[in-house]
Amino acid sequence: MTRPDASGNLPPDRSSKYRRPRSPISWAALIIGLIIGLSAGLAYAWLLNPVEEYDTEPWQLSDQDRANYIAAITLQYSYDGDLNLAVNRLLALRLTGDPIQSVADIACRLATTSYVDNNSGIHAVRTMMTFYQLQGRAGCADTLLAASDQPTPLPTIEAATPTLRPPATKTPTPPAQSQATPTLPAVIIPTIRPQTAYALVDVRTFCSVEFSGVIEVRVQRSNGDGVPGTGVRVRWNDGESTFFTGLKPERGSDYADFQMEAAKAYTVEVLGQSDPSQPLVAGPCTTDIGGQAITSYRVTFRPG
Amino acid sequence: MLRFFLSIFVGLTLGLALGLYLGWVQFPRQYINSPITSLTERFKDEYTVMIAAGYLADGDLGGAFDRLRLLGQSNIPAYVQTVTERYITNSRDARDIAYLVALAEGLGRLTPIMEPYRQLRPLEQQP
Repeated sequence: MTRPDASGNLPPDRSSKYRRPRSPISWAALIIGLIIGLSAGLAYAWLLNPVEEYDTEPWQLSDQDRANYIAAITLQYSYDGDLNLAVNRLLALRLTGDPIQSVADIACRLATTSYVDNNSGIHAVRTMMTFYQLQGRAGCADTLLAASDQPTPLPTIEAATPTLRPPATKTPTPPAQSQATPTLPAVIIPTIRPQTAYALVDVRTFCSVEFSGVIEVRVQRSNGDGVPGTGVRVRWNDGESTFFTGLKPERGSDYADFQMEAAKAYTVEVLGQSDPSQPLVAGPCTTDIGGQAITSYRVTFRPG
Repeated sequence: MLRFFLSIFVGLTLGLALGLYLGWVQFPRQYINSPITSLTERFKDEYTVMIAAGYLADGDLGGAFDRLRLLGQSNIPAYVQTVTERYITNSRDARDIAYLVALAEGLGRLTPIMEPYRQLRPLEQQP
């Protein structure tokens, strides 16, 4: 039985918080301080004093400068025709949708601005047009620049009064002293036109969630029969893979496939027997029922 | 009361340090809509090579000059010379070097170190 003290108060119970040693930290205050400090730190680091802008990559460029960068890509393509390099550079720009169609759209935009006020700008847009037209795309620049191609009618200038024929020079022309050296007949060694056994006869795209980002290759004879055991090589920016037809007999003796990675470009060829295809870009696509997938391709090789 | 303010001070300090670390190091602010002048050197070089190849295609030195001016360099010929010599010194891709040397030559900045790579001329100037 506890007794009251001199003031008449009872001592606190043993389990009372007044009997426990007090924590030196107020956890509630600590958490409040932490939240306020974190918010202030982030606001300072992101808004008031962000890190200096460095290591900017092309995808971070403004629309106008990105257009300039794309023009530079197609300018190089116009010289060396390296489609793989151009497509890889476009992919690095992280353009939304089909990167080659994006070139067409940007060319369209440039063709409506003062960018084409000078020959350099017109030439740059033309290289963009050549680039995307060769890949089967179209844009409004095709019509805008084509319209400006109409020849300007030249002003007719009345012929001036005919001038008199100049008098003959008084200095006689010396007779030719040297005799012409006979030119040796040029010997041209005929070269054999490179032959390839197979040619790419068909490329089709399809969009499927089940077969997302697949290159389906078929190597066939002229009559459509499959050719099993044929090597097929797929190349991309930093690698390649070789595989053979007929290893999935349920899909046919002429069939082989390859799984692509998103946002990469690939070329396909019959190993040593065909030219490489145009780059097949593993871009995003939407199926008929609205599913998101990566574009897949069906390519067919037959004797060329 | 002292306990309360002490705790809030400790929390503030820890939170501030954590916020600065996250905001500056772990998740720094990523810029978009950046000007081409802020490109990292690697991509400025790549852009210069592309413009050099474009010059080889069309022979338009003025156009190449205008396109390179976007990079914000005050002296374009000196800049092209610097990039070209750096490519040669670092044994970069021979094709890229040949493009740059052609542009440097067009800009009147052909130096002895570039001579061995002088293989290409603009298509329009070829006989």
